[in-house]
Amino acid sequence: MTGVYESPKPRINASMLSQYIGRPVCFVGRLEKVHPSGKALTLSDGEGKSASVELSEPLDEELSGIVEVIGMVSNKGTVMAVSYTQYREDKISFDLELYNEGLKVLHDFPQHYPFEIWKD
Amino acid sequence: MWNQGKYGEASMAGYTQSPGGFGSPAASQGGDKKGRTRAQQIVPCTVSQLMSAVQAEDVFKVGEVEIAQVTIVGVIRNTDKSTINIQYKVDDMTAAPMDVKQWIDTEDMGVDNSVIPPGSYVKVSGNLRSFQNNRSLVAFSVRVLEDMNEVTSHMLEVVNAHMQQSKPQSMMGGGAGTNMMPTAQTSMSSTGSYSGASMMLVNGLSANQNQVLSLIKSCHEPQGISMQDLKQKLSSMSVTVIRYTPPLGRVS
Repeated sequence: MTGVYESPKPRINASMLSQYIGRPVCFVGRLEKVHPSGKALTLSDGEGKSASVELSEPLDEELSGIVEVIGMVSNKGTVMAVSYTQYREDKISFDLELYNEGLKVLHDFPQHYPFEIWKD
Repeated sequence: MWNQGKYGEASMAGYTQSPGGFGSPAASQGGDKKGRTRAQQIVPCTVSQLMSAVQAEDVFKVGEVEIAQVTIVGVIRNTDKSTINIQYKVDDMTAAPMDVKQWIDTEDMGVDNSVIPPGSYVKVSGNLRSFQNNRSLVAFSVRVLEDMNEVTSHMLEVVNAHMQQSKPQSMMGGGAGTNMMPTAQTSMSSTGSYSGASMMLVNGLSANQNQVLSLIKSCHEPQGISMQDLKQKLSSMSVTVIRYTPPLGRVS
């Protein structure tokens, strides 16, 4: 699904999932659970709400802490991930709640943080 | 130079009170001398803004904001190293990954020219270039993020920088002027004081901060409003954000 990489991927939290069905998104959350199959994760956002993530292939590494997932939102409101990145916290821990506040600011001011390109 | 490596260095960027000796006095802040005044600030941007920027001769503009030197924060998707440069594709989620070129200084042994691997989050500082309809950044700094909170701070700095520079010039004089901020509350105009290098213009507070301020002001008890009360009334806001509300001048 290389199309996802080339598209804008709005940063959202769990409450916004339903508004982005069928669209690429970027979801950052704390890893709560990994399904025994290794193909599904549960992440919690800065408001404590959960989101389900489905991976195209089982995890082949240990994941923990803060994970950023890129993918399309399915009809069921799960994120069909095409890639994931673990946020490093080896030196300084990531403030997920503050990130959530920042995310809300982005959505409050789309004219100053566009998730799209304006071409005349 | 650019205070590289210091967390929050970009908090100074984008405002003309920057320490860099570019010889750009406050005049460029007012924008009165539009003629030859070039953007001397380094402006935090998104890739989408860089791609959307309008080019007139050799000047780029994002809305009202003139940009030349910019910073972006994103994750490296691709790398390509040659003997003279390293090319990255950096994805900040706002558009397709952006081309970033970093020249290798073969003589300067103090500079680390090793390629940063894909999947790493970086902050890129550089100049926007357009060549044959292709936009790219020529970077003078590509720094791996050690503190991922810089992702959050960059998001906020971008909004702040573009919001502040879009304001009408009368704001700078400290006058109340017209309230352009859709979310600012009118109680803010009474503050009036413009405290020098502070980034806080009268209407420069976010919606959250305005809420916190108006709650504090609405409490008439001599000991002020407690964190508990604030937290209760602003249930949607985390304690971190309430605490984070920067100094608001005389609130008592």
